[in-house]
Parts: sequence; structure tokens; C-alpha cells
Amino acid sequence: MPTTTTPPALVAPRKAKRGGRRDGVLPYAMVAPLVVFIGALAIYPTVLTVIEAFFHSDPLTPPNHFVGFGNFSAVFANSQVRHSIESTGWYALFGVVLTVGLGIGIALLLQRPFRGRGVLLAIVILPWALPGVVEGVIWSWIYSPTFGVLNSALKSLRLIGQYQLFIGSHQIETILLISLVQVWQITPLATLLVLAAMQSIPDELYESARVDGAAWYQHITRVTLPLVRPAVAIAMAEALVMSINIFDQVYVLNAAASTGSSLMSQTYFITFQDLNFGQGYALSLFATVATILLSLLILKVVYRKVEY
Amino acid sequence: MRRRLGRLGRVGALTIVVVWSLFPVYWALKTSLSTNVASQSTPVQWVPSHVKFTAYQALFGAGPESQDAAGGIARSLINSTVEAAGATVLTLVVAVLGAYAFARLRFRFKGLLFYGVIATLMLPVYATLIPLYRIMADLGLVDTYTGIILVYASGFIPLAMWIMYNVFMALPSSIEEAAVIDGATTMQSFRKIALPMSRPGIAATAIVTFLFGWSQFIFPLVLSSSDATQPLTVLLAAIDSRNVPYTIINAASIIAVAIPAVIVFLLNRWIVTGITAGGVK
Amino acid sequence: MIEKRQKLISKTAAFGVASALVLTGLTGAASAATTSANKAALQNVTINVAIAYPAPPKAMLAAFTKSTGIKVNYSYIQWDDLQTKIAAAAEAHTYFADVADVDWSKVGEYYQTKWFMPLNKYFNVASLPAQYPQIASFIRDGELIGMPSDVSLLVTDVNTKDFAKAGITKMPTTFSQYQADLTALQTKGIVAHPLDIPFAAAEGLSTYWYETTAAFGGQVLSSSYKPEFSSPSSAGYKAMTWMVAAYKDGLVPKGNLSLEDYQGFSNDQAQNLTASVFSDYSGDVGTVYDVPSSSKVVGQVEYIPTPGVSGPAPNLANPDGIGIPSTAKNVNAAVEFIKWYDEAANQAAFAGAQGVSNSISGFPLPANTAGLAQLVSSGKVPGAAELANLAEHHSRAIFPAGAPPWYPAFSNAVYTNLHSAAAGQESVASAISAITSQVSSLGG
Repeated sequence: MPTTTTPPALVAPRKAKRGGRRDGVLPYAMVAPLVVFIGALAIYPTVLTVIEAFFHSDPLTPPNHFVGFGNFSAVFANSQVRHSIESTGWYALFGVVLTVGLGIGIALLLQRPFRGRGVLLAIVILPWALPGVVEGVIWSWIYSPTFGVLNSALKSLRLIGQYQLFIGSHQIETILLISLVQVWQITPLATLLVLAAMQSIPDELYESARVDGAAWYQHITRVTLPLVRPAVAIAMAEALVMSINIFDQVYVLNAAASTGSSLMSQTYFITFQDLNFGQGYALSLFATVATILLSLLILKVVYRKVEY
Repeated sequence: MRRRLGRLGRVGALTIVVVWSLFPVYWALKTSLSTNVASQSTPVQWVPSHVKFTAYQALFGAGPESQDAAGGIARSLINSTVEAAGATVLTLVVAVLGAYAFARLRFRFKGLLFYGVIATLMLPVYATLIPLYRIMADLGLVDTYTGIILVYASGFIPLAMWIMYNVFMALPSSIEEAAVIDGATTMQSFRKIALPMSRPGIAATAIVTFLFGWSQFIFPLVLSSSDATQPLTVLLAAIDSRNVPYTIINAASIIAVAIPAVIVFLLNRWIVTGITAGGVK
Repeated sequence: MIEKRQKLISKTAAFGVASALVLTGLTGAASAATTSANKAALQNVTINVAIAYPAPPKAMLAAFTKSTGIKVNYSYIQWDDLQTKIAAAAEAHTYFADVADVDWSKVGEYYQTKWFMPLNKYFNVASLPAQYPQIASFIRDGELIGMPSDVSLLVTDVNTKDFAKAGITKMPTTFSQYQADLTALQTKGIVAHPLDIPFAAAEGLSTYWYETTAAFGGQVLSSSYKPEFSSPSSAGYKAMTWMVAAYKDGLVPKGNLSLEDYQGFSNDQAQNLTASVFSDYSGDVGTVYDVPSSSKVVGQVEYIPTPGVSGPAPNLANPDGIGIPSTAKNVNAAVEFIKWYDEAANQAAFAGAQGVSNSISGFPLPANTAGLAQLVSSGKVPGAAELANLAEHHSRAIFPAGAPPWYPAFSNAVYTNLHSAAAGQESVASAISAITSQVSSLGG
């Protein structure tokens, strides 16, 4: 994500200048594999997507032909797609709020060093390291309406009378629970980002707050939070991108139902089940643009450069 | 007194965090070690009454409940490892070389190329899924390790490059400058100074990339059409929708998380470096 | 990936093989003994086979390799994933497998997209209808898109022990009796939720609706693919209303909202949590309910003729088939595999004629009448005789004109809306109208 200032290295750094010697061909050789890779396997395919989004491409009704915005209008006229866009909005909301909220909370708990913090960090990181699909499967068993432990625990605590069907009957409930699995997965990222930023806060600031008679929670609201704002902005942007992109958990927990379908799972089904590749490209393009715009928006609104 | 409460509160909160992080994995482990009947009891058993390894035996083709998922899982384990490791190696080579050039060397178009690569970080997965499939198909690389590794690497390289760029930038250049004065070439100062000094950063990048590779799902779902290259994630999703007993599905899940879990617990220091270095943009 | 050497051998021998095939005038039930020209050509060829059923028993595959020299690389891919892979590979014009699943519902699509090669030159199409009761589903405009690999019917089964406990000794023959019996099971406390309907948004829900529509005396699409379920008095509308009401009134376990067909069979019916499946797949008694290691109802579940509005309803056919993708590499070896798979003795074994351990789990009935006869005479599979009778005399295709090319999108509309209706997210009326408008936008 571009920062608000140009990284200093790209502005003719004094230090790296080697007494007038030019670096010749070597830099190009070193960068070549990188550029070829990204050019061929990231940029070129994206360009293809952009172009193909404007063509009708469906093996059931050949031939392919230019249709301008036809794919887009068809896709947005599709009520299932509109529903999945709305659902994805909820996924994003839950994803960002819960991930960043929990991330900040856990980072606060881990801020001061203590015995065993290393182990605790490892435990906190664990969900992030696991494949989303596997997490979906594990949680589907927890949510199971017939043998799930969530039902069992709630019933033992007398919070529910009989086993509930958590996933599949109500849209928001379904989305919240599936989002929770992703939150479980990406919170560690937010935690670490915020935690790293917290480490840079000089102790003097907390000292002077204490001297000024600030209560413990004011240490957090007046000192910590403002100073970790850039990290929070980045965590929010990352959480946003990942929750808009949510696929693995939805695929496992929601399959082809429309209740909790996300934009990406809808794109998948339109492409590989309905075989309407043109519309699939159009949706992909829409999602890409939306993701970029929204994350830039978050960065613009939340990010503040912090200097000590 | 307040401090006591504060401490108690913190310990309590940390306990909740630990339970939140570990409980689902514990639950999958517990289910995989139970019998079919026990796993379906209401209310649930919090600890298995009889620990049985039949689910694991079934997965590997032995024991009374032998499933045809067997053979599938051994092969998928190998596939996941080869694909993640191969992608890691390729990514590291390409990213480290490029990052060093961006961090230390001067050349025309440096800014353009740098931002061009970084910009691809913004691309969500599906911007490239179908065209990449088509490209791999044209090259005859569908359902091959090569194809999958190339695709993975193309996704991981931008982030790896960004992390290594920051790592190289953080190295004090005084040592390299001294070496240059002594007549070292760029390649020599790269190999003998920058690389060894940035080992932690390289390790972090390698671990993070490997974990990403291990977790991939939608790309292999489309690109790997048979057992030859199918990773654990795809296999797991497939057997989840068949009528395979839940003990076995959870056993397969545990196998799929075993390696990442081990990596996390042994190497967590480097993971932290990797994630935070990559996050600061 | 075959080596160049093998490619060369198979190319040079292709002419010899092709003429041998034509001369012997092979039918679908040809024996596995190949001519020596074939055998030489096919030695050490490896084919990739991707089917949505578990692999045949190892010993049988080994015997195939021994007699033909062809090695089989078998992939058991879950049905929906398999369709995705077939589509992805075909769209990219890339090799995926030599033999792949051709579902009855895909024949219209494959005929239009030409993703599978017509098999007319390898099989004598004129002789097939006499041998294969459900061959009609696989022929479109005279082209044979795939060979049937099983006979599958949508059938009704009940747990006779539960019914007996409720005092029901005579099985229901009409739909209203069936409904009354289910209610009796419930009110007498024998089974809390006696009916298994898989309400997950998946193909199994669509086929369940088609069969229920047949029981109500109608069909879902006309021969020109126009919707016949849109009016409230139509069979399809009533069927959907009944299914949704059954879920809401608790006749169906609440958890079924997220269960797919086979999950419902093994988690509900096989565990005695339900007492009846109105639209099950033929063969499940032998391969699911009577398997001691995973079923609690061994010996208790039996097929009954599907209770219709005024008598027995037809059992719709939903057979699986196997075909050769257009991008296949080893076409002749693939043909040999298909012939082997369809051999009467093998088909009977897959369905359980040689015992459960030599069968394929979930396999329905043999595709050909010879196989059916062998299955029945083996006596090892309960209900086989009745099923064979149903297959030959009581069954019809789901769509009179075959599956439309846009079938997957249609089925998707059906199961997502039916699922939503059961979940209470929309009414039956709006579900029906959503499906209707989807049909018209697809070209029906």
C-alpha cells in the first residue's frame, strides 16, 4: 500500500552512492526475473481480465463477441449477485470491526513483556498459519446443529432450549458466524501490526502521562491509540481486503446457498458452474476496483503519519 | 488491591485469548481421537472417553474403517509440501535479488518498476485466477508441480520483495561501503555481506511464504485436476462433502494443520518479524 | 503425461486398432479380450480416469491392467468439484482425463459445447437401447455423448421396523397415506422427524423436487423446455409447497437445511434419525443402509413403489455415465476402460453381487439388463429384483427431451430458491417465480 510519502530510498540516497561508479547492467539482471514474473503472471493476466470483461464468453453460446458493458449490466441485474454484494458488505463490516477491535485488545494485553509472552505470541499466531479451508471444516463441526459443541455448551448453560441451526437460516447470523471463522484467522495479523507499532512508543510518554495523573485507561486512549493509528489503518485495510475476498470459509460453510454467499464465491459459481466466463471476468474486475478504492479510502481517512 | 485486580483481569483476559486461539484446534484433535459414536454424543464429551487412533489408521489405509481417502492423504501431504517449498525457494531467489537491486543499486526506471511490482499487492486473487489458468493450460502446465509453483510464486513475490526491501534498507550500509572501498564488487558485497546480515529477514520471508503456500485453496482447486498435484486443502474440502465420518474429517484436518502448527511454535520469532515487516507500508 | 514413444506407438497402431474395432462390431457388452493388435498398442499406456464414485476394488482394476496392459490412474473427485474441473479444463482446451464423468444432466451441455467426443464409432448405437434401459438420456440428436455407467432411479424407501412399531403393516400406496403414516410416526413418538429431505443448496435437492413433482402427477419442464410449475395448481408448485411445509412443520430434522443428499442418507436414515427418504437413489439400501460398520439400520430399510397422487408414481432416471473428453490423449485405451466398466459381471459386482467388500460404496444399479439380471440372481442385494423391475418398466427420464444445455444454471436456480424457501428467507411463490424467470432468461 503506498504510504503518504515517497520511501526515501528512491530519492537518490547519499549513502548508497558509490563515488560516481554506475551499477551498469547488474541491477537489470537482478531485477529481471522479478519483472518477468510479475509482468507475465500478474500484470498480463490482470490485463486479460480487464479486456475479457467486456466480451461475451460462454462456451454454451459461442462465439465470443464484444458486448461493452453487457456483462456488467447482466451481472448486476442478477438478484443472487446483488444479494452476495450486500452479504459481502456485511462480511467486510464484521471482518474489519472484529479483527481490528480484537487485534488492538490482544496487542494491549501483550504490550508489556512478561514471562511466557513468547509462547503466548505463538499461540496467538497459530490460527493465522492454518489454511482457511481447514479452519472452515473445523468450525463447521463446532457449529454443527446436531453434534456441535457450541450447541452443547449453550444448552448446558441453559441459554438455549434445544439445538439451534446456526448456519443457513438467517442471513446476518450466518454471515456473522462465517465471518467469525475468518476473524479467528486474520486477527493475529492485526495484533502483530499493532503490537509492533506499540513497541516503538517511547516509555517517556507513558511516564509523563502518569505524572499528569492520567488513569490507566487514559494511558491507552491518550497515548497508545493515537500513536498506533498508522498500524491500525494498515490493519483495517488488510482486514478489508481479506474480508471482501473471503472464499475458503464460505465455500466450506455455505457452499452454494445464497444465504451467506460472498462476492467471490458467487464469481466462482458463475464462472465454473454456469460457465459464463465473461460475467465472471466482469465481476472480478468490479471486485478488484472496489477493493482498491475502499482500501485507499480507509488509508486516507485513518492513516496519520506518526513521528517521534 | 487495584493492581491485584488489574493483574487478575489481565490473566483472565489472556486465558480467554488462549482458549479462543486454541480451542477449535483442540476440538478437532479431540474429535479425531474419539470413536464415531462418542463424537456424536449429546451433550458432547469434552475429553474423549476412549482415545482411539482408528480415524488416523483409516486415513492411511489401515484399520477397520479404511476409507478411500487413504492414499489420497499421503499423496496430498507430499503435494502440499512440494508445492509450498518449491514456491518458497523460487520466491526467495527472485524476490531477494530484486529487493537488493531496489534497495542498494541505482538504475533507470527503478521507481517505475518498483511501484509496478508493489501495485500488484493490491490485486485480489480473482483478478488473475482464470487468465492464469488459461496461460498454464496453453503452456501445458496444468496439474503439474511446475505450473502450480509458478502460479504460487507469482502471488507471493511482491510481498516477499517488499519485506526483503525493507530488510535490506534497514541494514547499515557502512559495512558494504567499507567493502567497496576495499575493492569488492556489488555481487560480492551482496553475497558476503548483505545476505548473511539479513538472514533473519530471509528466514522470516521464507517461513511466511511457505505458510501461504500451504494454505492455498482456490488456485489449486482450479489448477490441480488430479491426485498428482492436489494439496491437502483441496482434498479436505472434497472429503468434507462426501459422507465420510466426522472423526476422519477431523483427523485429516489435524494432519493439515500439524505442519503449520509445528512451524509456528518452533519459529514464531521469525514469523513475527515477517508479518510486521510486511505490514508496515 | 504419456511419453513420446507411447504416442508414436499408439499413432502407428491406431489404424490397425480402429479397423479391428469396426470389424468386430463391438457393442457395449463386449468382452475384455482384446485382439493382439489392440493389446500391443495399449501395453503400458496409462489413462487418467475421473469419476464421482470411489474406485472399483483394487483386485478388479489389477485384473483389467493384466488383461489389457492399460494402467489406470483413478481419481475419485466429489461430484461438484469434478464438474468444475471438467469445465475449467475444457474451457482452456487442455487435457484433463481420458475418461470422465458424464452425468445425465450434462448431456445437453456437452452436446452443445462438444466437450466430449461422440462415441458412435466405438459402440453400435442401434443395439444399445435393448441392453441399456436408460441409454436415452445419453443420446442427443443421434450422437452418443457418453455410455451409461449405472442405472439410477429416484426411489422411495422406508424403515419397515419403525413403520411396524407405529402399527403400520401395509406400506402406503398413495401420497396421502404416506403423509398420514409419517405423521403417525411422529405423533406416536417413534421417530421425532421421520422424513429425510436434503435441503442443502445442491443438486440432490433439485432431483428430490423433480421426483416429488412426478409423484404429484406432473413434470417440471415441457419438451420444449417451458416451465410447467409456475401455476399454484401445477404439480411442481404443489410439490415444492409440500417439501417446504414438511421442513417447517418439523417432519424433517432442522439440521437438514445444510445436509446434502449422501450426508442425509448416512447421517439421518442410516442412523435411524429418520424413517423414510421420499427420493433416494436406487442401490443405497445395499451400499449404504446395509453396511454394518456405518449403519444402524441394517436389514430394516426397504424400497417401496413411490406413492403418487392416485397410485404408484414413476421413478425418474438419473443415471451416471462415462465418456471421453475431446482433449483425451489415449482414446483407444479409454474406450477399453469404458467397455470393461460396463461389462455385466463387473457392473453387478460394483452393485454388490459379490458382497459388500467387492462393491463400490454408493453405487446404484448395473447399467445394462445383463448386469441387472446377474445382480438379481446373486441374491446378495436386497430389493434388487424390485429395483430391476422399476428400472425396466416404471421409470422415465426426468426431461422428455433430455437435459437442456443450460441445465446447471437451471438446477442452481432450483436448489438455491428451494433452500431459501425452506430457510424462511422467501415464500414458495417468490421461489417459484424466481426459477421461472431464470428459465426464461436461459432460453426456455
